Amino acid sequence: MKESPSNHIRIAGLLILLVVAFLLDLSAGPVSIPLKGIFRALLSPHGADPTWGFIVRGIRLPKAVTAVLAGCGLSVGGLQMQTLFRNPLADPSILGITAGASLGVAAVMLAGGSMATVFAIEALGVPGSWLIIGAACVGAGAVMLLVLSLSNRLRDNVMMLILGIMIGSITLALISIWQYFSDPEEVKDYLLWTFGSLGGVTGSQLPILAIVVALGLVIAFLSSKMLDALLLGENYARSMGLSARTARLVIVCSTSLLAGSITAFCGPIGFIGIAVPHIARFLFHTANHRRLIPACCLTGAILLLCCDALSQIPGSQSVLPINIITSLVGAPLVIVLLLRQTTIQAW
Amino acid sequence: MTRYAVLYLIMLSGCRSADRQMPAAGQATPAAARTRVNYAKGFTIAYYDGYKEVKIPDHAAGAKDTLDYLLLAPGAAIPPGHPHGEVIRIPVQSLVAMGSPQVAEAAFAGVADRITGVGNGRYVFNPLVREGLRSGRVRQVGQETSLNNELLISLRPGVVLTMTDPDAASAQYRTLAEAGIPVLPDGDWLETTPLGKAEWVKLMGALTDREEFVNRRFDTVEQAYLRLAAIGRSAKIKPSVIVEMPFKGTWYMPAGGSFFAQFLRDAGAAYHWNDTNGTGSLAFGFETVAPEALKADFWLDIGDIGSKKDILNVDKRFGAFHAFRTGALYNYNKRVNEAGCNDYWEAGVVNPQWVLGDLIRILHPGLLPADTLVYHKQLK
Repeated sequence: MKESPSNHIRIAGLLILLVVAFLLDLSAGPVSIPLKGIFRALLSPHGADPTWGFIVRGIRLPKAVTAVLAGCGLSVGGLQMQTLFRNPLADPSILGITAGASLGVAAVMLAGGSMATVFAIEALGVPGSWLIIGAACVGAGAVMLLVLSLSNRLRDNVMMLILGIMIGSITLALISIWQYFSDPEEVKDYLLWTFGSLGGVTGSQLPILAIVVALGLVIAFLSSKMLDALLLGENYARSMGLSARTARLVIVCSTSLLAGSITAFCGPIGFIGIAVPHIARFLFHTANHRRLIPACCLTGAILLLCCDALSQIPGSQSVLPINIITSLVGAPLVIVLLLRQTTIQAW
Repeated sequence: MTRYAVLYLIMLSGCRSADRQMPAAGQATPAAARTRVNYAKGFTIAYYDGYKEVKIPDHAAGAKDTLDYLLLAPGAAIPPGHPHGEVIRIPVQSLVAMGSPQVAEAAFAGVADRITGVGNGRYVFNPLVREGLRSGRVRQVGQETSLNNELLISLRPGVVLTMTDPDAASAQYRTLAEAGIPVLPDGDWLETTPLGKAEWVKLMGALTDREEFVNRRFDTVEQAYLRLAAIGRSAKIKPSVIVEMPFKGTWYMPAGGSFFAQFLRDAGAAYHWNDTNGTGSLAFGFETVAPEALKADFWLDIGDIGSKKDILNVDKRFGAFHAFRTGALYNYNKRVNEAGCNDYWEAGVVNPQWVLGDLIRILHPGLLPADTLVYHKQLK
């Protein structure tokens, strides 16, 4: 198949937009730093103003990199879910992975009982933030294994969808029980976690997130052919030699890695998973996953970088949580897209 | 939102030991013992022939409601002209203290043994009350929505002192009001000055007919505080200070109108947000505070932290702060009992002179004769 030149132009355009969005996110913040100052802080650490250097390299740069990773991971996870279930409303949390991660975090923050328990674990040398990340991973992993083991008995993917939603309900009920019996401060801590935060991933956490997200993206990209075949329907795919079980396993694993790790480090971030695959399809007019996956990565990264830049309300000292901005930006975008075309492509 | 942050901070309190028992004073209040409220804005006490009237104004949202309490001797008739007054029979012989400041106020007045119920036993420092919890003399009644109304009613306390907003009190505690148990909202956390917060002990004095004792004791506290404040304010060099620690990117800093900003002014500190409006805390992003945090001379009242390593575990970037590098880190968890309860939030509320003394000794070493800190310790 020949790559149309217009696709190359689109990819190039998106790459340029990515750089622009990255710089925009680096410039956004309560302390106003000119672009020259940002470059100096990034490229010559000793020549720059130490405060600016600390802010740009210590606060804004990790946040921007996290935004890129989360944008790529969540959008590709959403794409895979939309393909697997042939449902335009699917997003990475539909299997209950995000709910499982929330359950793990709630278990530490709410049901962990008195602070004495957390202190005891910290005395073993595990810092508090790693505890939360670890608990989220365990929760997400547990749900993933549950879904996989039960999916073997299920006839088709719609049942897996329902299974995921039911698991989500159960975890929500458990979390509600814990919230009911917790002190207001613990409930507020947990609530703040559910708002999502890109700025909390620093130091040694960032490389680990990068590795896991990269792994999930690589698995997804290598299974592009499988995803293409699934779009035609499971029976058709089977006739082309594709095993439904293998497909489910690979896709669920990849999505769990992406959604689980991002939720563990950043909290639940919504809307990127639903909106970005549609935007990518709209921009590239294709259902081919080999082109869609990189397109989703770029679009997702750009969108999340812009949302993060917007979350620093210009001219004010406050920062809105990222989850609020992604919903406020993502929903109108999808509505606009819907109004511009008569059908949703690829279905 | 900030209300809950402050509520939580207050709940983490503890109490002091060494309560002196004194016989209850007579019912008619001699003129010498009549209380004058000078600093606290949240309550007034008026003395009439045979009864006292406590008014707690509701400052929230410009509302003009005022809670009215009539403190009468047992058996006395309700005086005419006060249709909305809630009656409290005094001297109160048993009381329920929902939060740590209330326990501290009772201990200050020497009546900690009259406490028969607390909101959450985990947050009590006072050894006498803790002993009562262990022996069953003091019961845990729950807080806010998990209030155990039946237990509270069966305790039949003379008064229930709560920590909620005056306007919330009427809705939530209606069941108690119907059972004839008076509920008095303690608004000390709404006060904007340290002496104002501490002055709520005078309310306890009025409730227990121990005005003379409480007023004398408060006068000592007041004089010590004012003397220290004069010393602190006259300090030549004012070091810069940051407090607290960000959680998930949000850093709460006391606003310029808050009681803690007043502490810093009286201790002779330079506080970057001293001129901001507001009486609670301001929510900032890490980046907004970072320029100040990198340069500040002292980092005080950090939070649930025991050592420098704990700070780095939360976020390695805090190691770049000037105060961290020079070791000028002081946390308020020196007086913590084995259950993890911090006395700073209990007795510290009614003894602001000790807190101020700590701050001056930390910020201006050598300015005061003695060097031991009461509530603060340096983090290593």
